[in-house]
Amino acid sequence: MYTFAFLLLAATMCLALLGAGASLVALGRPAARPSRIAEAAGLFAAVALSAASGILTRALAFSDFSVIYVADYTDRALPLFYRLTAFWAGQPGSLLFWAFSVALCGAIFQLTPAYSRLSGTTRHWYWVFYLTIIGFFGLLLTTWSNPFLVSHTAPADGSGLNPLLQNPGMIFHPPLLFLGYGGFVIPGCLALAQSLNPAADEARWTSVSRPFMLAAWALLSAGIVLGAWWAYMELGWGGYWAWDPVENASLIPWLIATAALHTMLLATRRNKLGATTVFLVALTTISAFFATYLVRSGVVQSVHAFGDGGVGNPLLVFVLAGLVLSAWIAIKGRDPQAPALSGLESREGFLVVTAWLLLLLAGIILVATMWPVFTALFSGGEQGSMGLTAGFYNRVCLPLFAATVALLAICPWLRWDGGLRRKAFFIAVIAVLAGWMGGLWFAEYRLPTPLLASAAAVAVLFGHGLMLTEPAGRTRNALCVAGIHAGVALIALGIAFSGPYKTEKDLILKQGESAQLGSYTVTLNRVMVGEGPGYQFLEGELGISLDGKPLGILAPQRRIYDKWSRMQFAEAATLFSPGNELYASLLAIDEQENVQFRVSVNPLVNWIWFGGTLLSVVPFLMLGARRARKTEEEC
Amino acid sequence: MAKKTNTSIYIAALILLLAGVGALLYTGFSEGSVYFLNVKEALAMPPEKLASARLFGTVSGQELARTEDGRTVTFRLVDKDSPSHTLPVTYTGVVPDTFKPGAEVIVEGSPQSDGVFRAATLMTKCPSKYQKENREKNGL
Repeated sequence: MYTFAFLLLAATMCLALLGAGASLVALGRPAARPSRIAEAAGLFAAVALSAASGILTRALAFSDFSVIYVADYTDRALPLFYRLTAFWAGQPGSLLFWAFSVALCGAIFQLTPAYSRLSGTTRHWYWVFYLTIIGFFGLLLTTWSNPFLVSHTAPADGSGLNPLLQNPGMIFHPPLLFLGYGGFVIPGCLALAQSLNPAADEARWTSVSRPFMLAAWALLSAGIVLGAWWAYMELGWGGYWAWDPVENASLIPWLIATAALHTMLLATRRNKLGATTVFLVALTTISAFFATYLVRSGVVQSVHAFGDGGVGNPLLVFVLAGLVLSAWIAIKGRDPQAPALSGLESREGFLVVTAWLLLLLAGIILVATMWPVFTALFSGGEQGSMGLTAGFYNRVCLPLFAATVALLAICPWLRWDGGLRRKAFFIAVIAVLAGWMGGLWFAEYRLPTPLLASAAAVAVLFGHGLMLTEPAGRTRNALCVAGIHAGVALIALGIAFSGPYKTEKDLILKQGESAQLGSYTVTLNRVMVGEGPGYQFLEGELGISLDGKPLGILAPQRRIYDKWSRMQFAEAATLFSPGNELYASLLAIDEQENVQFRVSVNPLVNWIWFGGTLLSVVPFLMLGARRARKTEEEC
Repeated sequence: MAKKTNTSIYIAALILLLAGVGALLYTGFSEGSVYFLNVKEALAMPPEKLASARLFGTVSGQELARTEDGRTVTFRLVDKDSPSHTLPVTYTGVVPDTFKPGAEVIVEGSPQSDGVFRAATLMTKCPSKYQKENREKNGL
C-alpha cells in the first residue's frame, strides 16, 4: 500500500509537469480551452495527495510501525489524536500536508464558476505556474522527503512524540500555517497569469481570488497567534514571541501578505499599483517557501533544532527562480495608463506608507534572521558569526509596528485623494490619542514605544467605533474590516503592556508558606503526585490572593513521560484574567521539600488572544460580502 | 505635472522613513548584536569578547554535576564538530526540561577569572519535530 502511495506522489509529479508543459505548448496556438492534461493533472493532484494523506493518516491511526515515519514520531501509548497530529510532526509529513493544502485549494478553485469564466490564455498561464509548484512538491516528496519509506524490520513500538509537541497547540498550529501558505498559491499564480495576459476581457484576479486571499490570510494569522499562545504556555520557549528564526519565518509571509492586501485596495478601487500588488502576492508564496528553506536547511541556528532533510538546496533554487520570474512578469505587466498616486496626505498615501512599513518590517526581520549567515560570509567563517538578540528586534521592529498602528488610527479619516473626511471625528480621535498618552505618562508608564502603540491602539478602537455612526461604516464589509483592525489594536495593546510591564519572580516555598509578588500573595497549599496517560506528575497547588481576597488556584505540574524518562517537563498553569494574568510553573523540588516556582504577572496578555481570534475569524465573514463593495468608503 | 510633484513627495517621505529606520537599526545593531560561536571559536577569542557572545555546543556526559536543589549545573560544553575543544560552564537558574548529556545547548554569559564560563542563560535546542536524530544519538 505504501508503494501505491509513493506511486501516487510520483504520478502527481509527472502529470503536473506534463500538464505545465502542455499548457505552455497550448499558449502557442489560440485555443480557448485550457489543456485537458493540465486540468486533469490539477484534479488528479488533489485526489492523489488526499489519498496519500489518507494512507499516512491510516498508518498513524493503526500504529503501523513498518512505516519509518510512523515509528519515528509515535508510539503505542500516545492517545489517538496525538498520533494523528504526528502527521505534521516531521518534515516529510508536513511537506505532504502543505502539498495537500495547495492541491485542495487548487481543486476548489478549478471547480468554481469564476475559473471557467477566465479567458483561455490566462488559464494556460495559471496552469503553468500552478502545476510547476505542484510538480515541485511532487519532486520533494518522492526524493528528499518521502513520508512512505518502509523498514523491513518493523519495531515493536515507536520512539514516541516529543512531549513538547503533546499540546493542543500542536493539533492546529502547523496545519493552519500550511493551509494559509497553500491558500496564497492560488492568488499568486492567478496574478502572474493575468499579468501576462493584460488585454483579456475578464474578471480581475483580485476579485476572482479574493476568497482565497482572505481565507489564507485568516488561517495564517490563526496559525501564528496559536503558535504564540503555545509558546507562551510552554516554559522555555521564551514567552509568546522570542524572535526565534522559526517564529520569524512564519511572520515574514504574513507581513508581505498584509502589505499585498493593502496595495490590493489601491489596485481594485483606484487602479493604481497593480503591478506592485501582483508582485507582492507572488512574493507571499515565495516567502513561504523561503521561510521553509530557512528553518529546514540548517543555515540558521535556532532554539528549535531542525535537521537538514536535504530539501534546502532545491528550495533555495526554487525560491530564487520564482523571485526573478515574478518580478519580471510584474514589471512587464505594468499598466502604463494607471493614474498617478494622490498626495501623501491622502488615504492612498497612507496605504502606501502602511505597505512600506510592513515590507520594511519583513525585510528587516529577514535580514536580521539571516544575519549570522551574512556575517559568517564576510568574516570568511574564521571569526565566527554575529547574531542579533531579541533586544535588537524589540528595539527596531516594535517602533515600526507602533507606527503602523498609528497610521491605522488616522487613515480612515482621510479622503482617497487627500484632505480630511470628517474633521470633527478626526479631532476626537487625535484627542483620544493624546489624552491616552498623557494619562499613561502620569500613571508612570513612560516607555515611548508602548506609550505610542497603546495610545494608537485605543485611538483605532475609538475611531472605528465612531465609524459605526456612519451608514458606510455599517455595511458588512466595513464592519468586518473594522473587526480585523480592532483585533490588530487589541494585539498592540496586549503586547504594549504584557511585554515591558511583565513582572516575574522565582519563589521557593514549603507547604503552607507564602510569598509576595507585587501586590499578590502566593501560598503553597499542598504538593502532590499523581499519574496521567503516559506520564507521572508532581503538582504544586498555589493559592493566589490579592489584598487578602482569594483570587483562585494555580496548579502547575512537573511531568515525567514514560517514553522520555530522563527528562522532566513543566506544565505551566495560568489564572485567567483580562487584566493581570498570573502564570506559574513548577521548576524543582529538593529533598527538604522546598518547592521552587516561577510566577509571573502578565498584564493584558489575554487581549493578544482576543485580538488574534478576531484576525482569524472575521475574514471568513467577509467571504460573502463581495457584492456591496462598490459603494463603500473604508480603509 | 501633478504626477511629478507627488513622486517627489513620496521619495522624500521614503527617504525620511528610511533615515528613521536607519537610526533605529544603528542603535539596534550596537546594542543587540552578539557573536555566535561554537566552542572552538570561543576558545580562540579574547575572554573579554565572550561577554557578548552566544555559545553553541553539546553537553558532555563527563563532569556533569547538579546541586541538590537542581538549580545549579556545572558541565563541559563540547564543540559539536571537534570534540577535543571543551569549555567548563556553570549555570544557576531554571535548568531547561530537556537539559541532559548530549543535548545541544546555547549559553550566554561571561568567563570568570578561573576560566569557568558563568552562563546567565542556558537554552536547550528543543529536540524538535523535524529532528529525530538528536534523540537516537543520545541513546534514548
